[in-house]
Amino acid sequence: MLNLLYKEFKVSIHPLFFLVAVLASALMLIPGWLYFIVLLYFAFISIPNIFAAYKTQNDLMFSLLLPVRRQEIVQARMNAIILLELAHILLTLIFTIIHHLLYNLPMYIFVEPNMAFFGLVFLMFGLMNFSFFPLYFKSAHKYGLAAVAINAVGVLFAAAVELLVLFNKTAHEIIHNTSGNYTQIHWFILAGGILMFVVLNWFAYKLSLKEFEKVDVS
Amino acid sequence: MIPLQIKNLNKYYEKFHLKDVSFNLDEGYIMGFIGSNGAGKTTTLKAILNMIHTDGGEIRIFGKNYKDHELELKQDIGVAFGGVNFYTKSKISTLTNVVKRFYSNWDEETYFYYLKKFKLDPEKKISELSEGMKVKYSLTLALSHQARLLILDEPTSGLDPVARDQLLETFQELVEDGTRSILFSTHITSDLDKCADYVTYINNGEIIASNTRDEFLDTYRIIKGTQKDFEAVSNNLIAYKNNAFGFTGLVKKSEFKPVNGLLQEKPNLEDIMIYYARREELLNA
Repeated sequence: MLNLLYKEFKVSIHPLFFLVAVLASALMLIPGWLYFIVLLYFAFISIPNIFAAYKTQNDLMFSLLLPVRRQEIVQARMNAIILLELAHILLTLIFTIIHHLLYNLPMYIFVEPNMAFFGLVFLMFGLMNFSFFPLYFKSAHKYGLAAVAINAVGVLFAAAVELLVLFNKTAHEIIHNTSGNYTQIHWFILAGGILMFVVLNWFAYKLSLKEFEKVDVS
Repeated sequence: MIPLQIKNLNKYYEKFHLKDVSFNLDEGYIMGFIGSNGAGKTTTLKAILNMIHTDGGEIRIFGKNYKDHELELKQDIGVAFGGVNFYTKSKISTLTNVVKRFYSNWDEETYFYYLKKFKLDPEKKISELSEGMKVKYSLTLALSHQARLLILDEPTSGLDPVARDQLLETFQELVEDGTRSILFSTHITSDLDKCADYVTYINNGEIIASNTRDEFLDTYRIIKGTQKDFEAVSNNLIAYKNNAFGFTGLVKKSEFKPVNGLLQEKPNLEDIMIYYARREELLNA
């Protein structure tokens, strides 16, 4: 699997997508913005372009000719994308720290970039991956429908959370209050989000493998 | 140990199916896998390599069931579908660096030997190579990991006559020491005249024959006669064509008793392919 992961980053995924992650993460410096969008750029830009490259480079044929199991192909592809997602999240976290050092905003209309926000981000990426990979591995080269699904799930999740926090007092209180017990709740949301990210990716892998085992190379 | 044994391979599609495909390839020989476009050559090769799911049949490579030992056997197989049509914007050196990690038998010395022999510049991008050079690069990769069985799909199509001739000579050199075997599909019958020891002919998903080239050719006869003779032999004809003077047709030598006045000739591979395709047309008419 490590050799395949090397292949993913050496010839399949262009280093430019790390730059995209840096540039998108830098949008955290915009004060009082809809910060979920910063992470959604991964689905808007990186996903369609990375998977278009897999298709145009005829990666499916290349991968299947190598002495590897089908499950390793699924693992390597998912791990490469998850690593990019984690890089995107980490960079966003770094820019969030800079954001808080630069500004001392009295209030946020939309979700404030705190630990709870990052918990929700992990949950969002888990749901996005769960919607994307099993659909993609139905053919392992067609990515259109899967790209629509990942974007739809991401946007709907972000919109739902933002609206809830905006219009529900309890939700607003939980997300925006950083004192006392609420800090613990934020850490709990972060841990829960990370756990859900792992669980959803695991199920996405299982379903993807089941689909990919059925694929015939045309 | 027999490098490749295929027994009763079946694959059903809505409008096409491979029907009980069976043939063997012995060590140290070149087998041409011929058939017209759409006859099932590529489907058979993909089925052999487990790239498509089959509906029955057994594939044994070096005596081992391929599905059970796929990973281990892939180390001994070199495969090329056409030339290299993946990661074409990468340099040869970059792609090699990726590929070599997967093979435990990779030999750097052999790699550079073949790069030099085939005049491949490692700094060139795959897309900058001619079709012939792409096939040679595929061969270089296969030979560098000590592949003993080469499975090549249409390696000569798209090549000019000179490049084709050079490639076929290379095939012959590769099997010279008797340790390597090559199965290559083609629809260019002259390729087989130059280098194939064995011919396996597939038509509409069915293997018509798998034999040495000479025995395969000797199985058939072209007969020519007038319309009057046609009635006497029509039952034995695989297919026929009418012309101004009478007819020409293809028969199996074993099923045909010579008739006075009929002209008999040995067919070439192209004749056999054309008449079998003609038979399909007549059956579907």
